[in-house]
Amino acid sequence: MDWKSKQNSDGGWAYARGGSWTEPTAFVLMAQSVTGIDGPSFQAGLNFLGATQRRDGGWSPQPGVDESTWVTALAAFLPERTIGPERLRRALAWLKGQTGRESSLSYRLRQRIAGNRDEFPYGWPWFPGAAAWVIPTAFGILAFERAFAAGDHDRALRQRIADGREFLFARQCADGGWNHGSNQALGYPGDSYPETTGIALAALRRAPNSEQIARAKTAARRHLTTCRTAEGIAWLRMGLAAHGEHVQSAFQPVPRTTLDEALTALASAAHNPLLS
Amino acid sequence: MSGTRITRRDVLASGAAAAAGISLARYTGAGRAATFAKAPVSSVMIARAAGYTMDVYDTVYRMVAAHKLSIRGKKIVLKPNLVEFDAHTAINTHPVVVHAAYEAFRKLGAAEIRIAEGPGHRRATLDLADAAGYFETVPKFESAFTDLNLDNVAKREIPRPVSTLQSLYLPHTVLDCDLLVSLPKLKTHHWAGATLAMKNLFGLVPGGVYGWPKNVLHWAGIAESIVDLHHLFPRQFAIVDGIVGMEGNGPIQGTPKHAGVLVAGSDVAAVDATCCRIMGIDPKKIDYLTLARGEENLAASAFHQIGERIEAVQTSFELIDPWKGMIRAS
Repeated sequence: MDWKSKQNSDGGWAYARGGSWTEPTAFVLMAQSVTGIDGPSFQAGLNFLGATQRRDGGWSPQPGVDESTWVTALAAFLPERTIGPERLRRALAWLKGQTGRESSLSYRLRQRIAGNRDEFPYGWPWFPGAAAWVIPTAFGILAFERAFAAGDHDRALRQRIADGREFLFARQCADGGWNHGSNQALGYPGDSYPETTGIALAALRRAPNSEQIARAKTAARRHLTTCRTAEGIAWLRMGLAAHGEHVQSAFQPVPRTTLDEALTALASAAHNPLLS
Repeated sequence: MSGTRITRRDVLASGAAAAAGISLARYTGAGRAATFAKAPVSSVMIARAAGYTMDVYDTVYRMVAAHKLSIRGKKIVLKPNLVEFDAHTAINTHPVVVHAAYEAFRKLGAAEIRIAEGPGHRRATLDLADAAGYFETVPKFESAFTDLNLDNVAKREIPRPVSTLQSLYLPHTVLDCDLLVSLPKLKTHHWAGATLAMKNLFGLVPGGVYGWPKNVLHWAGIAESIVDLHHLFPRQFAIVDGIVGMEGNGPIQGTPKHAGVLVAGSDVAAVDATCCRIMGIDPKKIDYLTLARGEENLAASAFHQIGERIEAVQTSFELIDPWKGMIRAS
């Protein structure tokens, strides 16, 4: 795979074309680790991430955005030996401070006053100050599990992993999969999507086996028979592989973006760094 | 307001909606008390279109030409509404309408035309456009298209915001254009009542920055954010695909509804108000319209209708329970 020809001069990668973004850069670096590392290209990618980490420890989606967001979890997912222990520590600290706005004390209090007794498990938002959603919560769990496995046994870390799983289970759709995180709107059940079902399943790889996991795997298998996007197929394969099912799709999708290519490479790898 | 009023308390108590920062409660903030100067009379054109046939090309051309827009040499962005992977329902703006608009602006001398969209829930935008039939209908679609979720962005301050937003990152493609053409579908909407040309502007906000969904807009107030986005783009035109719209639990899970119309104009709030009347919805009960123009400027007499009369094409769209008593035109 020729990752270098798509690399920008600042060392990062675009989703398809244009300026560099944190998400495709992090995924191409992970993909290089399975397709073969091009030393100078890989180092330039790391340098891009090193240069764009913000003073608060997080990363913004692209250098022109003046706010750290969910993509911090992707940078924090890179191995410590590549991203560096101090950068990783600061990234995890930033992530620990992020929850969905619905988890704030003031919001919960307002809910109680309004008569709503629902609990809102702690997840992660896409953007600070917004609610928690499925994809950023899934990546938050994966980043914290990576840190935990690497020896960071902070209780807060373990609690956020448990809270994140609870959040995902609470947002599971009636059909067994996940959509962006709205499993009901005004009493109408929402349908799940392939990509979010795969991502959530991957994040729940260390959750105890349960009826909810079994239903999610069934939903993922069902989506795999109809899904036509490279992104969806890659995540469905990774989600099922996270639970021991190594499957192919009968359909060969067209990768539309560099991110699609990176995800496809990861899904096809014998040893996927996302799931190790 | 007639019928059962849904209060903020009801919505706060509705669990997931509350957690997403979404409120059905009608706006009660300072903007409600704002006074509006009498708006100049805007022209809104209604044309019949029985189906997605070649006739649509001529109809759309006539609708754009009738408004005598300054198009020659200009950069045009066509913004359809692409939401879900489904070519067989009425979720997405039909590709024939988009291609007809593309051809109309090309014939009228536009220097550059881009089709651009940033879907709110699904990240694979090109795949979504493919599934919706855009690749098949629009020649060289991929080279004419920009995924607004992943475009380069610049920060824009919002002058006199109505929502709690102070600024937004927005894609270069739309910031640099001379005319933004909103090409929505005629649909009911479970959070906003109706989704038309103004609500379609949510798709300008980059998911790559704010996520999928663009939840900061919900927390800032859906109606208020729509109005702020509307004010950020003073040069707009709208062509609403009402040939087959969606009623009931729109914008995704509703039922296709044949209305057989296209509605167009430069005053997009006026276009939306006209579309509401066609659907049997009172535009004065749609918050983003009253916030944008004031109730007094939403009267039918405030617009100059060209082409078909509203009464001649009106067809009542089904509404889900929470909205039935709130927005139905009496």
